[in-house]
Amino acid sequence: MSFIPGIGLVRGMGLTLRRFFQPKATIRWPEEKADVAPKFRGRLQLLYDEFGTLKCETCFQCAQACPIECIDMGGMDTKGRFHVHWGPPETYGERREESALRRSGRPVADPAYARFETLDPAAVDEILEAHDYDPRDLLAILEETQAAYGYLPVAALKHISRVTGAWYATIYGAATSYRHLRFEPPAIASAAPAGEGQREQEAGYRSALDAALGYGSERPG
Amino acid sequence: MTTPSRAWGNLTLTGKVVIPLLFLVLVVGPILTILVATVVGPWLMDVLNSNLGIVRFVVAIGGVLLFSIPAAFIIIYMELKVIAFMNLRIGPDRVGPKGALHSLVAGLKVLTKEDFTPTGADPIVFTWAPVLVFLTSVMVLLVVPFGPGLVGQDLNVGLLYLFAVGGMSVVGLLLAGWSSFNKYSLLGGLRAAAQVVSYEIPLTLSVVGLILLAGTMSLNQIAEAQAGWFTDWFVFRQPLGALIFFIAAIAEANRTPFDMAEADSEIVAGFATEYSGMRFGFLFFAEYVNVFIISALLTTFFFGAWNAPIDINAVLEAFGLAPIAVALDPASLGIGLPILIVVVPVVLTLVFAAPFYLARSSTPAWQALLLGFMLFNVVAIGTLFLLAYIGWPWLAGLVWFFLKSFAFVYVFVWMRGTFPRVRIDQLMGFAWKWLLPASLLNLFVTAAAIIIVKS
Repeated sequence: MSFIPGIGLVRGMGLTLRRFFQPKATIRWPEEKADVAPKFRGRLQLLYDEFGTLKCETCFQCAQACPIECIDMGGMDTKGRFHVHWGPPETYGERREESALRRSGRPVADPAYARFETLDPAAVDEILEAHDYDPRDLLAILEETQAAYGYLPVAALKHISRVTGAWYATIYGAATSYRHLRFEPPAIASAAPAGEGQREQEAGYRSALDAALGYGSERPG
Repeated sequence: MTTPSRAWGNLTLTGKVVIPLLFLVLVVGPILTILVATVVGPWLMDVLNSNLGIVRFVVAIGGVLLFSIPAAFIIIYMELKVIAFMNLRIGPDRVGPKGALHSLVAGLKVLTKEDFTPTGADPIVFTWAPVLVFLTSVMVLLVVPFGPGLVGQDLNVGLLYLFAVGGMSVVGLLLAGWSSFNKYSLLGGLRAAAQVVSYEIPLTLSVVGLILLAGTMSLNQIAEAQAGWFTDWFVFRQPLGALIFFIAAIAEANRTPFDMAEADSEIVAGFATEYSGMRFGFLFFAEYVNVFIISALLTTFFFGAWNAPIDINAVLEAFGLAPIAVALDPASLGIGLPILIVVVPVVLTLVFAAPFYLARSSTPAWQALLLGFMLFNVVAIGTLFLLAYIGWPWLAGLVWFFLKSFAFVYVFVWMRGTFPRVRIDQLMGFAWKWLLPASLLNLFVTAAAIIIVKS
């Protein structure tokens, strides 16, 4: 096929002709707006100024605001001359330590979440004990935690993170990707979690899958 | 202060514009009309009649010159839009409906830009090179038959003239490149010279077989020789010639993938590097006029020129029908004509509005009337166009000629959107090692076939 002279030309022309009739990707801003998720904040990137130095002021505001702690601040001073910081220096020092701790991958106590730390973790501890503190059972742990508290308190998630060693970001991510897990108490106490009917269906699928794979009632850990 | 000047001072700005205009129309206009009709007109007609050849030439070149500008605008817009579509963009869309006036505004922008002559450039040559380039393009258009009888000058050496004048454009490019006092420009000019001179040979040889077949070098007669069904087009008798002409014509017009002369990624813009303002506009215009020219020539030589692909009269005859002929003489209706002009639109509007009004009781009368009026307009314009198409062969020819030509313009734009630029040595090697032998083969085979058929 490929040694017919001119076949490449014809195929190229065919490609462009197909493109000609395809729907166009252009968004005619400002008449049309792109359909983005409300929590979309653009691409996170550190910018450099015209002298090649980082524009970041090490204010840690982004790190503090980040809901899943994915922003990790590092470095003492980005200008290399003196510390540029808004706020009292002792806070800066704390934040620096905090940042270093965060970079280490361990969970860090964050004063920004202090108002959530009013939780009796006994129920969570019980659940975790039952699961042998194994973060691979994360979904089951989260479901049981929700059953115990009615929702998933942030303090409980942080406690799970601290005790099992799993990253908070991982736990938060897992919890947000399931529709039946929620982070706030339901407005109506008796309301069923979202997708409740679906859960039964999924349980049906799971038991069918277990049967097909030859597992009994006990599932391998 | 005299009265007229005081009256003038009392006028508003609008009045100062409108009053002189009214004066021109009401006083100067009639006087001029009477003067032209009685004294100047007959004298002028005498002069024009006694110099009919010159008048015809001036009108033809004026028409071609005027035609080349909108044609170039349309092709520029088409190129922007088509390549954008192939890139999954939508292209220009701000000026005019769907951006249709974009190239017009771009042309105005070019007019208002500074026209700069660099230090060290040869000012006379630098100024006149774009004129030469543009002029050759327009002069080539002079012999192109746009329709039956619609040809600027029906030269009996039309083909020869075509290649002689078309080859002159490279002189303009070389002058532009040399006079710019810039190494990129010079390189571009030299590339243009080498390329155009090389491709001129297969280009000319590819149509020699066609001259043998048609027995003439007049473009008009070549067009007439292809009348009838589309199987009579020369592309079916000279397929190799058509292919060679297609390739060589692209190279002649410096189009992608053979745009070595102005390869903007290699030598900035070639011969056009130092040009700005309307002088650059001329070079740019000439390029797009050239695109139209090669499309028009391809149509004229190989794709039936202005002939329709289907011989409608032959089809009618096969079904036992008389050929359609329209001989409308509106003047024969006498006083009936103005009455008809008043009555027919109203009646037809009502007739077309009736079904909309009757079909749904919720349709208001004014909406139904509006719809009926629009429908009447569509039908009337369609009927008029159909009558004109049947009654005027030159209009039918013009429609087919432009349809075919712009189909080829689309192909050239399509190729520009697809192919990368070829390397210069491959370009030259292709011309000398492949196109030239192929065109010679085409010529010999055609000549042999004619001898065999005739003997």
